[in-house]
Amino acid sequence: MTEKVLMKGNEALAEAAIRAGCRFFFGYPITPQTELAAYMAKRMGKAGGVYLQAESEIAAINMVYGASAAGKRAMTSSSSPGISLKGEGISYMAGADLPGVIINVQRGGPGLGGIQPSQSDYFQATRATGHGDFHLIVLAPSTVQEMTDYVFRAFDLADEYRMPVMILADGMLGQMMEPVVLPEPKTELPEKPWAVTGHRGERPHNVVNSLYLKPEELEDTNIERFERYERIKAAEQRAEEYLVDDADIVVVAFGASSRIARSAVNKAREKGIKVGLIRPITLWPFPVNAIGAAADRAKAILTVEMNMGQMVEDVRLAVCGRVPVEFFGRAGGIIPTPVETLAAIERIAASLEGGAR
Amino acid sequence: MANLKELTHREDRLAGGHRLCAGCGASVAVRQVLLGAGEDPVVVGCATGCLEVSTTIYPYSSWKTPFIHNAFENAAATISGVEAAFAGLKRAGKIDADKKVRFVAFGGDGGTYDIGLQALSGAMERGHDMVYVCYDNGAYMNTGIQRSSATPKGAWATTSEVGVAQAGKRQVRKDLTAIIAAHGVPYAAQASISHWKDLTAKAEKAFNTPGPAFLNVFAPCPRGWRIPSSMTVEIAKLAVQTGFWPVYEVEDGVWRQTVRVANKKPIEEFLKPQGRFKHLFAPGNEALLAEIQADVDRAYEGVLKRCAAE
Repeated sequence: MTEKVLMKGNEALAEAAIRAGCRFFFGYPITPQTELAAYMAKRMGKAGGVYLQAESEIAAINMVYGASAAGKRAMTSSSSPGISLKGEGISYMAGADLPGVIINVQRGGPGLGGIQPSQSDYFQATRATGHGDFHLIVLAPSTVQEMTDYVFRAFDLADEYRMPVMILADGMLGQMMEPVVLPEPKTELPEKPWAVTGHRGERPHNVVNSLYLKPEELEDTNIERFERYERIKAAEQRAEEYLVDDADIVVVAFGASSRIARSAVNKAREKGIKVGLIRPITLWPFPVNAIGAAADRAKAILTVEMNMGQMVEDVRLAVCGRVPVEFFGRAGGIIPTPVETLAAIERIAASLEGGAR
Repeated sequence: MANLKELTHREDRLAGGHRLCAGCGASVAVRQVLLGAGEDPVVVGCATGCLEVSTTIYPYSSWKTPFIHNAFENAAATISGVEAAFAGLKRAGKIDADKKVRFVAFGGDGGTYDIGLQALSGAMERGHDMVYVCYDNGAYMNTGIQRSSATPKGAWATTSEVGVAQAGKRQVRKDLTAIIAAHGVPYAAQASISHWKDLTAKAEKAFNTPGPAFLNVFAPCPRGWRIPSSMTVEIAKLAVQTGFWPVYEVEDGVWRQTVRVANKKPIEEFLKPQGRFKHLFAPGNEALLAEIQADVDRAYEGVLKRCAAE
C-alpha cells in the first residue's frame, strides 16, 4: 500500500479525505477545484459514503454543519469566490464548536478575479472567513503529497479541537500531478459524545448552537474558545526550515510560492549568499516561534507571496521590528519566477553589504 | 412582429468572433432574444457562465450594448439594481420620462435554476421592468459538465456518473418555467432556439410587457451533450417534437401552447443521438427508458391540460 502513484492534487486530496474517514462530501462546481468534487462523485458511493452536489456554496457548507452536528466527518471544497459564500456557514460552525474540513483551491481575486493560482485569500483564511471572534486552523500544503498528508491530519485536528479546519491550497497545487504515497485508511475514529444522535432517554439533550442572547453567556463561550486557541497556538505551530541556521537572509513563503522561493534560495546559495527558507505549514496558528527565532539570528527577512502582501503582516508581528522585513509578490494569478525571486534576494543582500560598509 | 426579412436588417447586438464553441446554443438564444428588443437601447446583465466568460474576455467584448456582470448567483439582483436606479432617476426628473431602455439578464441553468433562483424569485416578485432569460443546456458546462437541477433524468454528467449504482442523474429536472409563472408575473414563456420565430416573438412580447418577464430558452451544448456541433438545432427541434421541451407561454396567467406538436415522437429520438444518454440504450436499462418516457408524457400532458383549461 506504500507504493507511489501519480495523481492530480485535487484528486489525491479527495482520496486522502476518504481514507481519513470522511464519508460526507458536499460540493458545488467552481474552477479550479472541480476535479475534487468529480472524484468524490465517483468514489464516495463506493466507499459507502455520500456525495452530494448542493445548489450553492452556501447550501454545501450548511450541509457540512448538519453532518458534523450528527457526529460525522464531513468536508466541502471550493475556490476563492465560493469560500466567500461559505463564510457565513463557517462562522456558524466555529460558533457551534463543530469540526469540519473546508478546502480552498485559491484563484486570483477580488471579485470574479480569474482562474489562475493565487494566495490572495490568506487574510480571509486567517483573519475573517466570516463574522465574529473566531479562528480556523489553516494548513498550507506545497506539494501533492502534502495535499494528502495535511487533509488526513486536518480531520483529526478538527475533531480534537472541535473547530473547522481549512486547507489553503491553490490552483497550481490542485491541478498539478506529482507522485504521491496515499495514507493507510483510518479504521478507528474518535468518539463524539457531544453529537446530536438521539438521547434515547438515556442522557441529557445534546445541543449544537451558536445563539446566546445573554451577553454574559456569549462572552463566556468566546473566552472558553480563545483559551482553546491559546492551547492550539502552543501545541500546533508547524513550519519547515531549510538552510536557516547560518542564514543572513531568511525567506518566508508558504504553499506554491515556497517552491519557487526554495529554487531561488538554492540559486542564491550557489552565488554565495547566505539565505534560508522558512515555510509556514500552519498559517493559523502562525509559526511565530520559528520566525521569531530566525529574526534573532538573521539580518533581514523577505516574504514571498502570490498576492499583494498579506502574510507579511504576520511575519512583521512575529519579527516585532528586530530586523527589516521586505516583501516580494505577484498577484492576479501570476506565479513569481525563481529568477525574479532571486533578484529580490540579491537586492536585500546588496543593501546588507552596503549597510556593513 | 417583424418578419424574417425585417429581422435581417436589425443589428446583431452580440457580435461574432466571441469564443463560444462551434454549435453553442447560448449565442443563438441571445441573438434571437435581442432581435426582439427592437430599436430601443438594451442594458444586458449576465451571470457567470460560458456565455459571460466567452463573450467578455478582457479587454474585448462581443456586446454592442452596455454590459454588467456580477457574481454567479445574482444576475437578477444586479439588473434589478440597474433598473431601480433608472426608474429612480426618471422619478427625480434626471432622465426624460418618455425615455425607453430595456433591461435584460442572461443566465445559464446552473446560475438560474440553482444558485440564482433566490435572486430571480426576488426580482420577479418585486416587479422590476426587466426580462430574465435562462439559456438552458442542462448542466454546469463552464466548469466541466456537472449536473444541475435542470439536467434531465438519466443524463450522464461528471457529478452524476454512470455505473452499477446509478445510470446517470436519478432525479427529474425542475420545472422552472412553471415556478416563475407561479409568481404571477405578467409574462413567462418556454422557447427553443430551433423555433426562431416563436422565440423572437416571445422576446418581443417579454420586452414590451411592463414589469417582469421570464424566458426559458432551450439551448443545446454539443460539448456537454456529446453531439456533433452541426446537430444543435436538430436536437433542439427533437426536444420540442418529442414533448421533452413543450413550447408555451403564460400571459397574465393564461397558458397557451405556441408550437403545437401534431404527432409526438418517442423520447428515444431525442435521447439516442446524444452521448450523455448512451448508457440508456445498453441492455438492462429498458425500464429506465420507459420511466423517462412516462415522465415526459406526464409533464407534457400537464402543460396541455393547463393550456386547455384556459
